[in-house]
Amino acid sequence: MTTRPPSGRAQSRGLIGLLLVAVPVGLFAWMTVWPIISGLVQAFTPTQPNGTRPFSPANFVEFFSDPYSLSNLGVTLWTCLVTLGLLLVICIPLALYLRFAQGRLAAYVQTMAMFPMFVPSIILAFAFIRVLGPNGTVDLLLNAVGLPKIRSPYLTPWGPVIGLVWDNIPLTVLILVSGLGAVSNQAVEAARDVGARPLTLFWYIVLPRIWTSVAVVISFTMLGLFSAFTLPYVLGPASPEMMGPFMQRTFGDLRDPEMALTQATVTMLFCIAFGIFYVRAVARNRGK
Amino acid sequence: MAIALAPKRRTDWIGLVFALALTIVILVPMLVVITWSFANVWRFPSVLPQQFGLKFWQMTLARSDVWSALSLSLTLSAVVTAISAAICLPAAYAFARMTFPGRDVLFFSFLAGQAFPKFGLLVAIAAIFLQLNLIATFWGVVLIQLVGTLLFMIWIPVAAFQSVDRRMEEAARDAGAGPLRVFWSITLPQAAPTIFSAVLLSFVGTFYETEGAWLIGAPQIRTMPVLMISFINNQPVIQYGAVLSVLLWIPSLIALVFTRRVVNSGSFARGFGG
Repeated sequence: MTTRPPSGRAQSRGLIGLLLVAVPVGLFAWMTVWPIISGLVQAFTPTQPNGTRPFSPANFVEFFSDPYSLSNLGVTLWTCLVTLGLLLVICIPLALYLRFAQGRLAAYVQTMAMFPMFVPSIILAFAFIRVLGPNGTVDLLLNAVGLPKIRSPYLTPWGPVIGLVWDNIPLTVLILVSGLGAVSNQAVEAARDVGARPLTLFWYIVLPRIWTSVAVVISFTMLGLFSAFTLPYVLGPASPEMMGPFMQRTFGDLRDPEMALTQATVTMLFCIAFGIFYVRAVARNRGK
Repeated sequence: MAIALAPKRRTDWIGLVFALALTIVILVPMLVVITWSFANVWRFPSVLPQQFGLKFWQMTLARSDVWSALSLSLTLSAVVTAISAAICLPAAYAFARMTFPGRDVLFFSFLAGQAFPKFGLLVAIAAIFLQLNLIATFWGVVLIQLVGTLLFMIWIPVAAFQSVDRRMEEAARDAGAGPLRVFWSITLPQAAPTIFSAVLLSFVGTFYETEGAWLIGAPQIRTMPVLMISFINNQPVIQYGAVLSVLLWIPSLIALVFTRRVVNSGSFARGFGG
């Protein structure tokens, strides 16, 4: 933001400004900053049988020595990496096409790529089961042409992966296309004139200019994937489960908020680098 | 981006492949859901329903749990959006137009929430709500959904207020208009379309908010998405879920029509750090 020159009645206006922003800032502090601090403190001060709460990493020792917790963390990391890899493989070519193509077909492709943004995850989950689930559309079509049924990804770790890729295509494409704006047509044409092949072109001309966007995509999606809840809960296996459903079950069904906070803290620590990078990128863009 | 400047005669093979693949992967699943909602009878292994009809629309709309979830979801979205607008729009105006100590720090502090995985943050909030007895209450869900709208409802209107032509305001003031009159007749009309998009996005976003409602509201507060989850998990009649999906989708389609301009503009992608 640009700073505006102070007006004559700067001081009283300053006070009014502070008053106007006080409520949302206060609400934000109470419901974002405070829970994080309080959660961290609670996770590190486990309640003892005698009611005291001394500082101790016992909750984390328990988390990291419990095979079930570890396999949940493992499946979460696996899901994040596979989803991220698929997203990049699908969305980089798509974004490149949208950046350089023109015409009605490109407009249609763009509309399709943005479409999932307007499909709520829960409807996507239902559609997924009807298409890829047992006796879903794919099975119907295969059966009609005399082929065997598929091994359905529903309730396997691939279920959330497919759902999450689908869900994340629009924003990934948007961010990448926006990043590709930094690649000038002249640079590409000049390289083409001297005989650069498409792959060379991509590697030496395009990629160096969109690194930041790729990094933003990676951090943004990692933050979203690591604690994804709805799609893993509905489409994923019951065991091992991803961190989102795991935290929800620990909090809601097992009624163990302290362990749920420990899991939340672990999740946050795993994402901290991505979080800081993402927020810095957004702030920098906004500052421009 | 998609303006036909110089139409090439060459067939756009890559485009055709993308168009075909995306149609199959993105459009077909939605068509399957819509078909299911209009299928009176659809038994394996028929590729198409044996009988089309509105039977399950009538049956779904006759369920009291659907109506109570719908009215609860609409009430929640309206209350959250109204409170959010009431507290965020004045703040947005202040961030855009006034100088006060700590302005930039406070403005960017709203971003800090984005640095944490969302569900982890929700669990941390839920632990605090547990001590305050806000779990499974209407106002608990209102609060958690309200926090989710803050960033949107401040950042988008700030951009709107900043883009208002200040010369027009000064001209009005020179002509003798008071500050409130200038705001009402000059500033607000220019900022209104963007603010309207922000309000609509926050309403629709709240309507579909699932995770907070599930974590904080369960089991008493059953919004439409929460009901949809229980339909997916426990409802053997497929058509109920299909009809509910189509019903549930309507607000999103309305948002699609009204906010496409905002979403397709580059500034939207930049808002996500692109």
